[in-house]
Amino acid sequence: MKVENKPMPIIEVINLKKAYGNINALKGISFSIGKGEIVGFLGPNGAGKSTTLRILSGIIPADSGEAKVCGVDLAEEEGQVRNHIGYLAENNPLPEDLRVIEYLKFRANLKGLQGSRLRERIKIVLDVCDLERKVSERKIGNLSKGYRQRVGIADSLLAEPRLIILDEPTIGLDPRQSAITRKMMERLRGEVSFLLSSHILSEVEACCDRMLILSHGQIVAEGTLYELQKKFIKNTIFQVVAVGKKIELQKKIRSIDSSCELIEDDPVEISGKRRFTFSTSKGESIAEEIIRSLLELNELHVSEFQITRPDLETIFLRATKENWEEKDITARKKAKKTKNHTPTGL
Amino acid sequence: MRPYLVILKAEIFALFISPSTYVATFYFLSLLGFGFRFFLESFSFTDWILPPLSSLVIGLLFGSPALIPFITMRSFAEERRLGTLETLMSAPIESFVLVLGKWSACYLFFLIITCLSFCYPLLVLIIFPEQGINLGFDKIEYWTGGGLFILLYGGSFTSIGIFASSVTKNQMVAGMLTFTLLTIYISLMAFSFGETTHESYNHIYNIIEIGLGNLGNGLKKLEQFSVGLIDIATFFNQSVLIIFFLVLTTIQVNRLNR
Repeated sequence: MKVENKPMPIIEVINLKKAYGNINALKGISFSIGKGEIVGFLGPNGAGKSTTLRILSGIIPADSGEAKVCGVDLAEEEGQVRNHIGYLAENNPLPEDLRVIEYLKFRANLKGLQGSRLRERIKIVLDVCDLERKVSERKIGNLSKGYRQRVGIADSLLAEPRLIILDEPTIGLDPRQSAITRKMMERLRGEVSFLLSSHILSEVEACCDRMLILSHGQIVAEGTLYELQKKFIKNTIFQVVAVGKKIELQKKIRSIDSSCELIEDDPVEISGKRRFTFSTSKGESIAEEIIRSLLELNELHVSEFQITRPDLETIFLRATKENWEEKDITARKKAKKTKNHTPTGL
Repeated sequence: MRPYLVILKAEIFALFISPSTYVATFYFLSLLGFGFRFFLESFSFTDWILPPLSSLVIGLLFGSPALIPFITMRSFAEERRLGTLETLMSAPIESFVLVLGKWSACYLFFLIITCLSFCYPLLVLIIFPEQGINLGFDKIEYWTGGGLFILLYGGSFTSIGIFASSVTKNQMVAGMLTFTLLTIYISLMAFSFGETTHESYNHIYNIIEIGLGNLGNGLKKLEQFSVGLIDIATFFNQSVLIIFFLVLTTIQVNRLNR
């Protein structure tokens, strides 16, 4: 019998909990991240993203649960984990008096780099983060937001970490600078694992292999974009651009799939064509059959046919909405219970 | 050890590029030099029984509340204002090492200023050897005693400054807090100077004195140190005070990251 050796995950989190006073920031989350994966951490404000990232970086301890980063148990060797990771804090705080090169030297020294290796690593990260010589000699306080962000990312890459944790890496960056950050991650794809939190969903959609959606301290969704699409969007939406009568088209489609419904009917500029948007519960398999039958109808003149896949924003809203609703119901039940238990006055 | 040295180096560099430390050092040394010159001129008319070198140590001690805030106020308050403490703690470094590194840098800077101030009597000895010998500037025991006294108290003063810097984001508030704490500390020493202790609680008082750090009789100890009599208890209780404030600062730094 062949025994498959599963590679050890870079991050393994089991039932992690953290509270700030009465507020439960994390209510027992569990997930794992494999070697070389780029994982996006999504969630509304106050969902517990930064708390999770700070726990995984060894900056703050968790209240309970188990977390292993690069094989290091955070409960036992909290400080040890910092040797294996690169961390970019939210808002990227940097000392303003230092020059970029001085700051990177200081950080490299702090991370245990010395001599030629230190010089070599600084040269590499300056190149990866597109921080040309002219910029590296400038004071951090005089740099633009984009350059400051790149300095923070360069710092996180310095010690050749196995895992890089980026808290909102592209916040406040222009599209070109965001593209540079994406390019940097692409260059390191496979070698280094990335865990990044972001509010820019298109960004996450473009560069992440997998997503974790957090809401109210709980993971409400996890998986690749395709898996999330399948999980949260039950109906398949498809569009047909054609000339012809709505009723005829509808009739034809209904003859193939009776569950199919027309959602929208819009004119396409001045061409006389119309864009019909349908929704079906039978999935993408039915699409091939529908297009074949529509092409047979000469009077319809079908010029376009496409299946529209829901973007991450739709999935994100759907996933977090469910959690909001659940929370709302629980709160209402609690309120009702309290009301029933309140003793009536005289 | 390496992270400690890295922090120490970076902090010394930060102190050397900060204009406020230069301004404070300049005014402090100028005033101290002026005061020392005035003291030497009027020394023969006073009933000062201690070696003249001790006047410089007293000047340094009483002038510390004006100098130390400028050295220490920046260390943690600035990190807190900019939020760089979190970035710093993401590197493989323990919070006590960080506190120790920052304190050592401030202490080292204080020692540099102390050394510069000790140049005054040294210059008198070099330029006017006869007068210098008459004033006792050639006696190594006076130099050692006075130097050690200020070395010990400088350590505890800077640790108080470091602690004050960790409790606020505002450098000015940190500076004022350091000034207040040091003034209270020195006032306690000044007010209790010359007071006799009751025999009945003398033993208990001695225990508290050793444990808490000569809060009451620092100036009395200076009398011993200035003639070259080294008091071991002062070493012990000043070390206790330094460790106490450094541990408090570490707790505060850890609390900030929670």
